[in-house]
Amino acid sequence: MIFSTLEHILTHISFSVVSIVISTHLITLLVNEILGFHDLSKNGMIISFFCITGLLITRWILSGHLPFSDLYESLIFLSWGFSIFHIVFCFKKHKNDLSAIIAPSVIFTQGFATSGVLIEIHQSAILVPALQSHWLMMHVSMMIFGYAALLCGSLLSVGILVITFGEVIQILGKSNNLYFLNESFSFVEIQYMNRNERNNVLQKTFFSSSRNYYRSQFIQQLDRWSYRIISLGFLFLTIGILSGAVWANEAWGSYWNWDPKETWTFITWTIFAIYLHTRKNTKFESVNSSIAASLGFLIIWICYLGINLLGIGLHSYGSFTSN
Amino acid sequence: MKTLSPLNSSNPCLLKTHFLKVPIFNPIFKFKPLPHNTHHARIAKVPSFTMNSKLKSSQDINNTGKKSVSQKIVLSETSPPPLAVDKDGINGGSGSESVPVSSKKKGGVSGLAKKLSKKVLQILSNLSLAIGEMFTIAALMALGTVIEQGEAPDFYFKNYPEDHPVLGFFTWRWVLTLGFDHMFTSPVFIGMLALLGASLMACTYTTQIPLVKVSRRWAFLHSAEAIRKQEFSDTLTRASIEDVGTLLMGAGYEVFLKGPCLYAFQGLAGRLAPIGVHISLLLIMVGGTLSAAGSFKGSVTVPQGLNFVVGDVLGPTGFLSTPTEAFNTEIHVNRFYMDYFESGEVSQFHTDLSLLDMDGKEVMRKTISVNDPLRYGGITIYQTDWSISALQILKDNEGPYNLAMAPLQINGDKKLFGTFLPVGDINSPDVKGISMLARDLQSIVLYDKEGKFAGVRRPNSKLPINIDGSEIVILDAIGSSGLDLKTDPGVPTVYAGFGALMLTTCISYLSHSQIWAIQDGTSVIIGGKTNRAKMEFPEEMNRLLDKVPEIVESSSSQQVDTITSG
Repeated sequence: MIFSTLEHILTHISFSVVSIVISTHLITLLVNEILGFHDLSKNGMIISFFCITGLLITRWILSGHLPFSDLYESLIFLSWGFSIFHIVFCFKKHKNDLSAIIAPSVIFTQGFATSGVLIEIHQSAILVPALQSHWLMMHVSMMIFGYAALLCGSLLSVGILVITFGEVIQILGKSNNLYFLNESFSFVEIQYMNRNERNNVLQKTFFSSSRNYYRSQFIQQLDRWSYRIISLGFLFLTIGILSGAVWANEAWGSYWNWDPKETWTFITWTIFAIYLHTRKNTKFESVNSSIAASLGFLIIWICYLGINLLGIGLHSYGSFTSN
Repeated sequence: MKTLSPLNSSNPCLLKTHFLKVPIFNPIFKFKPLPHNTHHARIAKVPSFTMNSKLKSSQDINNTGKKSVSQKIVLSETSPPPLAVDKDGINGGSGSESVPVSSKKKGGVSGLAKKLSKKVLQILSNLSLAIGEMFTIAALMALGTVIEQGEAPDFYFKNYPEDHPVLGFFTWRWVLTLGFDHMFTSPVFIGMLALLGASLMACTYTTQIPLVKVSRRWAFLHSAEAIRKQEFSDTLTRASIEDVGTLLMGAGYEVFLKGPCLYAFQGLAGRLAPIGVHISLLLIMVGGTLSAAGSFKGSVTVPQGLNFVVGDVLGPTGFLSTPTEAFNTEIHVNRFYMDYFESGEVSQFHTDLSLLDMDGKEVMRKTISVNDPLRYGGITIYQTDWSISALQILKDNEGPYNLAMAPLQINGDKKLFGTFLPVGDINSPDVKGISMLARDLQSIVLYDKEGKFAGVRRPNSKLPINIDGSEIVILDAIGSSGLDLKTDPGVPTVYAGFGALMLTTCISYLSHSQIWAIQDGTSVIIGGKTNRAKMEFPEEMNRLLDKVPEIVESSSSQQVDTITSG
């Protein structure tokens, strides 16, 4: 009894803290930059991380098994994964740039999980016999960490696409500015020179294109961040898929059944492999790969939620209709 | 007047290298001394690749006399390694010399075959083709989940009719001719997978393996200009290159110092690991093919107490399937039982099996459950399902009678089994009786001949119940075990591929960083690049360079910086 009230309290605390963090980001974006807010958002995310951790641990103790058995728990785990990534990158880079993307992700996943849509699955359920295995820990945790990382990375890529195409439209509108450039470098090409070359090129141009320079720097940063996070997510996804296959062989007799969930996970893996390979061709690496990653974003959601909602196949214990 | 030139700097032994660290790759670091003008060819041009290999071999013969190919990276007093950076230069003069030589050696037909295979190899290892293939496979898989698989043709006639086709053109003709009803074994899909496999092999052969040779060749940069052109570059005034080298070593780099030049690298495994990824993917494909073509599958529901022979149950899946001696084993289900949660739900189900060989001797006995299969002689037996086969009852102290139970259809995943004991005249058309329903082996619910609830009994309690004048005692509920049997020769290969893939994907996350430096007077010009961790690299370098000690000369008269290179 204590545990379930504790669970409720923790859920509400983390939810409110994250919403405060998002509001501060919005205020920073729209109104004015108030310096105290950086610390506030950082501490806020840390508090919500601890809250979600506490939430998961209480569910674990309450139900006696790891909190992986159904959609609600895996969504909470997903938001935990997001906050872990945020903490790691926050401390490594001493910057809060990613918080603007991760914090809304945390709140949306947690909000969806906590909302009335899934209200009947809130009670922790028992594990069916097929799920009573040690592989559960490794497979599900790796998959969800992989999804969290890939979602972060693909959101960054969507950001790149938004900025790039917004700029292109703007440049087309103000095309007379381009005549001031001594050499006709297209906007897209500017991004792919390395730092020294870019310095040389842009020193020859007029001040009006310095905004382009900062924007291209920002896009380059986003691009590199996106690449690194997606590589990490790809690694987790690979391990998750393979451990799932080995588990399936132990439990059901065959390591690959072309189950809808398995197939869609493989499709996700293929899309992100396409992402990694489009970066080899350095001519349009950032734009092409961002398109691939944005597609990947949609596919992850189909794979994770769509299949579960349909309730078909061997993974049907994650769905609504199975109850 | 003393002039400080780079050659007369504090380093007395100028031509001997400082052997600072034993690299892990030492045993395979066969350092082949190559002549000055051999650049490494860009592997996209396949013909020049093969010619290059021929060129190397002829040069090797010439060079054996010159110097010893030692295992340690210690240079002798003779000429230094190739000075040029291994960029994308095509082998110019020396390559074209050997063209007439090699073309003379080829015959007519075999030359044509070789040219054709080179062309095919070149096409297959194209990256855009590979990306297109992956995309097509993904799209086909998505289609395979949308279209119902494995149904009778009637289903497709109904759902994809010709008079109002889906999306305007997609009718059942598309589905059945292209094999979309069994997408994952259809020729289209398997063909795409085979094409991807061929691309993987071609790419590994032409692009990746030469990459190994390229990345192992380390080359110094001798001009400050070249170093300043790197992604990250910096100049430290009043520093010594040995300090830089020592610091880099402490940070985990492998450092090579020759005279005023330094080269350091880290994370070479990260550049080589993608090769491992591709090879393990190929291994998985091979294993999968073996599984699909050479395994046996079968499933059976056996009531408690009965036997079956393995060979009767298993059926082959492909043309490579050959039965083994173990197929003659007879399997006896000793006992089937289930565990329950406190709420009454099924927590686990177990079957106690004995394996008997042809002579009737027991060779193995094990209790299996879900996630805990039995393995014997290449055959694996999995517990996948259960049902109730019969109820053993006593009626009015007569019996025991075995009433077979049948599964009943209800919504959801739960199971329900029922049986019927007729009361009165069996031959009348309107026969009534006692119904008994069971969800699991724990308790049986009984209904009288009007269908009214009569009571619940547990099989082990032996408590009688009086319904419509008859006294029923439920003695036992006999369950039956749902078993899946399988042999799969491809599993070891596939597991090896899985393990290799996990490992190599982990390793390929590492970033290959390279750093060059030159001692120019009292300043050190340092530059570097990395292939993956482009964000963290400048910061890491800055942190490292902050630690380099600044050399403060006590006698400051010799501060004439003779910067020789621009």
